[in-house]
Amino acid sequence: MASLLRVLRTGRAFRGLGNALTRQSGSLRRGFYGSALRLENESKSDKPPSSSSTMYHEHYQAHPNEKGDSIRSNMSYQDQSGEHGEEYETEEQLQARIFTAALEFVQQYGWSMEAIAAGAETLGLSSASTGMFSNGAGDLVLHFIAQCNSNLTDILTEQHKHVQLGQAETKKTSDFLRDAVECRLRMYIPYIETWPQAMSILLLPHNIPHSLKHLSTLVDDIWYYAGDRSTDMNWYTKRAALTGIYNTTELVMVQDSSPDFQDTWNFLDNRIQDVVNMATTIKQLKNIAGMNQRQ
Amino acid sequence: MQRAANTALHGCAQAGGPAVFSRCFICRVTVMTLRVGGGRSVTASPWQSSRAYGVIPPPRDPEEKEMLHRILRVDHAGEYGANRIYAGQMAVLGRTRTGPLIQEMWDQEKKHLEKFNEILAENRVRPTALLPLWNIAGFVLGASTAVLGKEGAMACTVAVEESISEHYNSQIRALMEKDPERYIELLNIIKEFRDDEMDHHDTGLEHDAETLPGYWLLKNAIQLGCKAAIYVSQRI
Repeated sequence: MASLLRVLRTGRAFRGLGNALTRQSGSLRRGFYGSALRLENESKSDKPPSSSSTMYHEHYQAHPNEKGDSIRSNMSYQDQSGEHGEEYETEEQLQARIFTAALEFVQQYGWSMEAIAAGAETLGLSSASTGMFSNGAGDLVLHFIAQCNSNLTDILTEQHKHVQLGQAETKKTSDFLRDAVECRLRMYIPYIETWPQAMSILLLPHNIPHSLKHLSTLVDDIWYYAGDRSTDMNWYTKRAALTGIYNTTELVMVQDSSPDFQDTWNFLDNRIQDVVNMATTIKQLKNIAGMNQRQ
Repeated sequence: MQRAANTALHGCAQAGGPAVFSRCFICRVTVMTLRVGGGRSVTASPWQSSRAYGVIPPPRDPEEKEMLHRILRVDHAGEYGANRIYAGQMAVLGRTRTGPLIQEMWDQEKKHLEKFNEILAENRVRPTALLPLWNIAGFVLGASTAVLGKEGAMACTVAVEESISEHYNSQIRALMEKDPERYIELLNIIKEFRDDEMDHHDTGLEHDAETLPGYWLLKNAIQLGCKAAIYVSQRI
């Protein structure tokens, strides 16, 4: 009985995935949202079986434009939508769409309510719909960051797949980290003029927990794909090191005026090299002190 | 899981060993469920690695994920601590008559720790940040009780293993209450490890743990420490 249910669930989940993957064009999007949502709302557990790493990230790939929150809110289907009839769109999804539209206007209006109002207008909503955003600018930046993180995860999954299929060589850890951080920071390039404003918004007290959460998921993801499977203190030291590297490189990037941010990438190379050297030195010291053969 | 598979094979070799074969519809793995001595029912499948998912099912929502990660985190910390306790005991009593006994129990704990390391890595669970603390505390506890002699070491073993078994039992109860079928693999692993810990507990009792002067005091002190460690490791 349980196995039968599992088969049905998998079937529905695959249909949902299929619908989600076709959800590319904007105008068709809402129709598919509706049907995908209806499918997802029917089945009780909606995520496809995904504990192996590739499937986990296939799931991520299927929802490229939503924050994790909006996926979960689909499933628990709390009726806070108040939206018109056919599209079972929740409030989070609507907000996500408005934010995505608002990103176009960030260069013009900065990370602010005006950009959100302009974005809402392009979707055919009145600019008064910004009233539903109590923390507009902050949420806009957080949405953008979440989007960048999931894009990065998609890219890393692709690379991982290529490596597993034998189409690409495994990179050295330091190269992998450098490429991942560079790729992620390059997503800021279109918004680089206004990025200092975004960073300061993220430092506001009510935004700090969320931005830290995004940062920690980012760093955890990068290390996971770099092959880190440690379950001891190294888990913490590695992530702390990468967080330091990422933050300092981001700061250098907003002040960088060299062509194609070459100075930033050089800085990144040097920092990663520092960490690698430090790790090697520590290992050598441990060898000398005889501390390396414990347990 | 290894032992379960072995027991399963033995069960099959004996004539009339009660075994039920069923097939999982998804991955078409043949699963043997049989009654092993002592009335426990064990699921053994040599093809376990071909299942659609690993030890824990993919979490449906953040609450479930948090709950499962907490369980795994504290169990991992527990096995790590137990490892260090036995290491401490071996450091003191390694060359005495009780050395081989403690070594044997230590080896089983090492296997448990390995299993949990695997599970944590596979499911991207954060290990507890207090590991260095349990490293030192465990070793010190093991060594200091071993200094009291063989009875001291056995008393420490009894206390710790009793705490751990109680802890595993409460986890088993919690998971059974929620959804025994969904968490079947995790339940099997925890049950197996709990049985091992109970064996260690009984071994400790057999080897004169209770003859230690101040046994009651030491036992309760250690168990209080274990409870605190468990509480803290779940959260940090």
